Amino acid sequence: MEDDNATNDAIKAASNPSLDEIKQPVKAQPKPRPKKAPELPIFERRNWLIHLHYVRKEYEACKMLIKEQVAETSGMCEYPLYVQALILRQMGRIQESLECFQTCALINAQNSDNLKQVARSLFLLGRHKAAIDVYSEAARMSSRDWEISHNQGVCYMYLKEYMKAKEMLKQAIQFNRHDLSYVMLAKIYLMEGDIHMAIDVYKRAIEFSPENPELLTTLGLLYLQMNQNQRAFEHLGNALTYDPSNVKAILAAGSMMQQHNDYDVALTKYRIAAAAVPESAPLWNNIGMCFFGRKKYVAAISCLKRAGYLASFDWRILYNLGLVHLTMQQYASAFHFLSAAINLKPKMGQLFMLLAVALTHLDDTDNAKQAYEQALQLDSKDVSILLNFSLFLYNLGDRKTATKHFIAFEQSMQKLKDTGAADLDAELMDTAGKLGPALQVGESLVWKDKANQPSTSPSAPLPAPPPYTDTSTEALANAPTPPTHDPAASEQNSNTRSDRVAVPSQ
Amino acid sequence: MDPMYMAYSLFRRRKFEDCINICTELLEKNPYDQAAWSLKTRALTEQVYVDEIDVDEEGIAEMLMDDNTIAQITRPGTSLKKPGTGQGAPSAGVRPLSQSGRPLSGFVRPGTQSGRPGTMEQAIRTPRTAHTARPVTSASGRFVRLGTASMLSTPDGPFINLARLNFSKYAARPNLAKPLFEYIFHHENDVRNALELAALATEACGFKDWWWKVQLGKCYYRLGLYRDAERQFKSALKQQEMVDTYLYLCKVYVRLDQPLTAIDIYKQGLEKHPGETALLTGIARIYEGLNDMTNAVKFYKQVLHNDNTHVEAIACIANYHFYTDQPEIALRYYRRLLQMGVYNAELFNNLGLCCFYAQQYDMTLSTFERALSLSTDDLLTADIWYNIGQVAVGIGDTSLALQCFRLALVSNNDHPEAYNNLGVLELRKGHLDQARAFFQAAESLAPHMFEPHYNFATLSDQVGDLQSSYNATKKAIEAYPEHCDSKELLEQLKKHFSIL
Repeated sequence: MEDDNATNDAIKAASNPSLDEIKQPVKAQPKPRPKKAPELPIFERRNWLIHLHYVRKEYEACKMLIKEQVAETSGMCEYPLYVQALILRQMGRIQESLECFQTCALINAQNSDNLKQVARSLFLLGRHKAAIDVYSEAARMSSRDWEISHNQGVCYMYLKEYMKAKEMLKQAIQFNRHDLSYVMLAKIYLMEGDIHMAIDVYKRAIEFSPENPELLTTLGLLYLQMNQNQRAFEHLGNALTYDPSNVKAILAAGSMMQQHNDYDVALTKYRIAAAAVPESAPLWNNIGMCFFGRKKYVAAISCLKRAGYLASFDWRILYNLGLVHLTMQQYASAFHFLSAAINLKPKMGQLFMLLAVALTHLDDTDNAKQAYEQALQLDSKDVSILLNFSLFLYNLGDRKTATKHFIAFEQSMQKLKDTGAADLDAELMDTAGKLGPALQVGESLVWKDKANQPSTSPSAPLPAPPPYTDTSTEALANAPTPPTHDPAASEQNSNTRSDRVAVPSQ
Repeated sequence: MDPMYMAYSLFRRRKFEDCINICTELLEKNPYDQAAWSLKTRALTEQVYVDEIDVDEEGIAEMLMDDNTIAQITRPGTSLKKPGTGQGAPSAGVRPLSQSGRPLSGFVRPGTQSGRPGTMEQAIRTPRTAHTARPVTSASGRFVRLGTASMLSTPDGPFINLARLNFSKYAARPNLAKPLFEYIFHHENDVRNALELAALATEACGFKDWWWKVQLGKCYYRLGLYRDAERQFKSALKQQEMVDTYLYLCKVYVRLDQPLTAIDIYKQGLEKHPGETALLTGIARIYEGLNDMTNAVKFYKQVLHNDNTHVEAIACIANYHFYTDQPEIALRYYRRLLQMGVYNAELFNNLGLCCFYAQQYDMTLSTFERALSLSTDDLLTADIWYNIGQVAVGIGDTSLALQCFRLALVSNNDHPEAYNNLGVLELRKGHLDQARAFFQAAESLAPHMFEPHYNFATLSDQVGDLQSSYNATKKAIEAYPEHCDSKELLEQLKKHFSIL
């Protein structure tokens, strides 16, 4: 019976396109003879069966067979041990699998596969230096092996030796093109802060495998960072056609739609993602800003607060909360959220500008002035800061400095118009149009005008569009989440005596 | 004034100490004064009386060694031991857990069991207050009284020598038997003798008195004979529909792990006593035990409809609203508790949290200060400091947060959440080794929390130690199966392991 099965299975195995990673030491089956099965040496008699079970993921049966084989050969069989190590690795027991692979390497030192696996195990354990050494040894046995070069590159990346890592990965791509090598190479460029090169690498990767949604999404995100929206949209759209429920792509595409004020479409997109990741802070942040765009401020605040509860260290959420509260004219809360955001991200001009607007309404002009100055120091190019500061000074009655900042504002606007870049905010232009004449005309007129000058009623011009999700190539929300735990928030007295005081018992 | 009259009057006014002294004098004059004798037993009993319904403690032995449950593997939602995922309950990512799968309740009772230890070893290793509101003992410790303890209250030896009593003589006289039984049961905690007396007394009154049946049931329940107790309570209910009896019967069913039967019985009781808050609270507690928050809150609201000062219901509803993104409503409920005159550290701590999350910044810190000044024990102080740390994180002041979490650890060295958050703060500074140590401390203290596992996994993943990362991720998913980030990380790691 075994023999019948054997031949059948052997035929199956032959027709089964096996993974190319395992060089089976099984000899080619001779032509089937009706007399009896071929005599294989005892060590390798059942390797084909072990392999078959392994590739079918039938690990239990596989382990049984391996046990028998190891017992029969008193541990001198290479392939069963090799498969056993692979199974152990799949179960996450890397240390044991490393020992197994080392045994294999001892049994057959000529096989570079064994060495490669030992090195791989070392890599998985985080011992990168040792892994590189073993890989170099394996490279001496087999030349032109992309796997070795690739893995060495990754190890160098972990050791922060980027030059060597890039070299190795490029070598690996020369030997054999592979998605992973491209991804790692791009990762290194991003770590060095070179987005252009990273985009190049991804472009080449997509030429090679155009249907990989991960690659498409990441490239889209990179284009988004470079503000090349059209291309980004193309790639993200492609990614979504291949994988409609890819959360990363949905978030990125949604945030682009939001930039074009297409809130309803973005919300429908987010609805898909919300089912998959109900506790993702970036997602709730974006949903909140969608509601904000549709002037549903209360819904926006509740969404943003949920996002803030889930991710306490995300300055974007705090920024948005401050913005929404400014719009709702709740200046105390706005100040609170904005100052929290500044604590987490101190080098951002717009935050200080919003803080100054909040302070203006809280009747703290000295601090507001300081905040404006800080904002200008950090970001002297932002037109809204200049205009707001100018308006603020005008309201204080400091005409001279107000005029100075207004002129600077007009120059920046001129530049923007020349480049034709931004679609200028209507409200911004409106306010500027009112403030301009007010500053230019004679003093007496101004005081008359002031009665019907809406610009003098302190208005908070819209700041720049709020920042959206993290568009880095790292997975979203990779930061460790602090637990939003309030253990005591729900504890009454755990003492019987006082409980009886608290509960009027019948 | 006649001393006997005086003693009765004192007893009515619950001045037991003076009442006992007068009775003792009377008994010295006349050792056969039955009225004084029975009054003294009653006064002694009342001094230490604790309502039997609320005394529901399981020691380690009861949790692990006895098997009263019928079904070993239950359908989700039909057992208190393996609560289902529940409806309307906030997930573990939002609401903290006291044990795996049991969110913190809004109110701690002596019978609160949040989760159960799996094995004896586990039960001994976990902190003693992890499963009940009081430190766990091997068997229900409150009922084991050493001789010395009972002697202390009476310097000249015990009041009644149980060994010398002739129970059959007393059983025939109900006016003596009832106080005597209560004395034996509540003061002496001698269940076996109490049972003997109750059995004789029931017989003496021809099985017509529901009260004796209930007492028999109570004795059986204490002895762990739940089916016998159930029989007694049922037959008592046939005679007389009392709220007490319904509550006792449901206690039995909860102990037998049949929550749905218990709910049925409660509902039968509600037909007889419409709007009885004790029954409604019982239903709500069971639903909360099953993690079915929608129904639990519904019943708690019915409780408030009938009795709008019910502390437990208010606290539970407030807690529910706080964790479902409605801190303003929670604040209103907690303020109601404050108006009712509840004045303790827990309440002020909760008020502070609600104020902060509902953006009432003027009240936040003063309530926390009040909580700190009212706090009586270190565990509570630690929790308050921990929450002030959360507020500090909320205003972006990480150095203040660091101080607060450290203070929490000073007050309570085994505060896993504080360890975890310290780890996160250290990680933000880039101190990987310290962060790792903090996460590991948190992991070992609270294996049921998913945050330290997940944080440790991401940290290990960053430095490339994929084996530790894999193991930690596995634990995180075990603690909180719906966590998407953990799942994503596990997928990535599996990919790493299968690629050659």
